[in-house]
This record gives sequence, C-alpha cells and structure tokens, in this order.
Amino acid sequence: LGAALRIQAAVPATGCCVCRNWISTTPRLDYIQRRTRLRVVDNSELGRRAMEAGKPPRVMHVYGKKLKAATGDMVMVAILGQKRRGFIVGARRPEGPLRPQFDSNNLVLLNDEGQPLGNRILAPVPSFLRANRNPKLDYTKLLAIATKFV
Amino acid sequence: QSISSMKLELCSFSGFKVYPGRGRWLIRTDGKTFHFLNSKCERSHFQKKNPREVSWTVLYRRKHKKGQVEEAAKKKSRKSHKAIRAVAGLSMADLMAKRNQKPEFRKAQREQAVRNAKEKAKAKEAEKKAQKQAEAKQARAGGAGQKQKAAKVVKPSAPRVGGKR
Repeated sequence: LGAALRIQAAVPATGCCVCRNWISTTPRLDYIQRRTRLRVVDNSELGRRAMEAGKPPRVMHVYGKKLKAATGDMVMVAILGQKRRGFIVGARRPEGPLRPQFDSNNLVLLNDEGQPLGNRILAPVPSFLRANRNPKLDYTKLLAIATKFV
Repeated sequence: QSISSMKLELCSFSGFKVYPGRGRWLIRTDGKTFHFLNSKCERSHFQKKNPREVSWTVLYRRKHKKGQVEEAAKKKSRKSHKAIRAVAGLSMADLMAKRNQKPEFRKAQREQAVRNAKEKAKAKEAEKKAQKQAEAKQARAGGAGQKQKAAKVVKPSAPRVGGKR
C-alpha cells in the first residue's frame, strides 16, 4: 500500500505535471437556438416583468428554415407562460469583421402583426440592420424605436 | 450587405488604429463599446490587464512620456507677455523714465543717498555731543544735586513667585 501511494504522489522531474486547472476545450457555445435564454431589451411590460422575475424568454422556434438565429432573425419565444414573437437585435456570437458582437443575446418582443410591444429599445442596435435583409419581416418600426445605433 | 465604413477606430486596449475588416468590435451589456485590434489586445483586456501597465500600448507610452510627445509640447509653449501699465503713484511716462534709468545714474543716486545718510548721522552725533557738553557745563556750574543725569534705577529683582523654573 505504501509503495502504491508513493507512485501516485510522485511528480516526475521532467515532463508534464498533473494539470490542476481544467480548461474547457470546446469553443464558446453562443448560438441562438431552441432553449436559448435571451435578454429582453425593450421597455415592454411583459419583457420587464419576465426579466425582473428572473425568467428570461427561451427560444422555442427560429423562423426562416434554420436552426440557429442571429442578429436580424425572428424567433418565437416562451415568456412567462406565453408564446411571443421576438426579433434578435444583438448576439454574442461574433458575426463578421464589420459587425459588433454583444455581451448578451438581445431580444425585442413583437406582437403577432410584427409590431414591437414596447416603445423604446434600451440597448444599442447594430446599424447594419438598417439594410433590411429579412424578407419575412418588415422591422422598420422596430428600428424607429431604437435609442442608440452602433 | 452593410456598407464598409472607412472610419478608423482606435483599439481600446493598445490604442493602435484598427482598419476596417480587422479585429473585433464588442458591445458590453452596459452599452460600452470596445474595439480590439487583434486577439492579443482582446485577451489582455479580458485578463483585466491595465493598458497603462503594459509597455507596448499607447496609453503606457503616453503615461510614461515616451517618445516625442513631450518635446513637441514644450516647443509649442508660448511665453505670456506682461503688459506694462501705469501705477497709481506714477504715470506711464514717469514709470518708463524710471525704468530706463542708466545703471551709472542709479549708482550715483545710491552714493548720494549714502552720503546724505552719513551726514545726517554726523549731524545727529554732533548735536548729541553738544548737548552733553552743555549739560556737563551746567552740572559743574550749578552744583551736584541739580541737573544730574538720571541715574539708572535698577529695581532689585523680586523673588520669583511660583518657584524656580
């Protein structure tokens, strides 16, 4: 028993030691997909209640025949027991060279007609959204309630 | 697609110029924007390094005054000219006259002043002497007790109240 313990405890003079800090080797998992929790950044009543209650909306469905949502995509979220549509205005995943990445996945809640529920967006909105590339949604009204463009 | 903006950003960590297409652009939850030139700058930022303590950054060099920023600043410093104005006692002309006095003139003035002072002192002494002599004569003529010089009255030192200090 004593001999076995000694071997286990021995640290070789040269070569690698036992790594004490376990580093994650998977890349950052920052896609927006189903079950992703988002941060509501408009001043809608529903959004505010949900964020204050500590029950952020979860993505249920990504519109547009895709599995991952990015900035500029419409999603269906479950928020405080309701189903609501939402629009992604900021994503953690870095998009491209000239586009900002955010520290949180930001969502603006929409009603069934595609109009924003709140009347102000409190987080900075990337200005590349001004070039509307989403054929299914006209979000000009949404950009109109944005307070700050980046 | 988005329009490429030719605005050159500065890296939030290193202070170098970030050309469009380079680096990363992060917007924090509190709304603060960060531009990073490369992953070196980005990682340094997230490791919470202070760019003012990292010697290759612009902030460090500025803080420690490296390079030619200081020299350029010193060269550009302007001297402020004090305007000469007339004072309450002197008009402008008098002031300028006084200012433009030659050093020899001033020296002569000084010597004159010294001479005057000396003469005054002499006169005073002579006066005193004369007075003394006059008093002495009177004392001799008038007898002992009359006009005596006031004797210095020395008070006997009173015992100190409160004990020895």
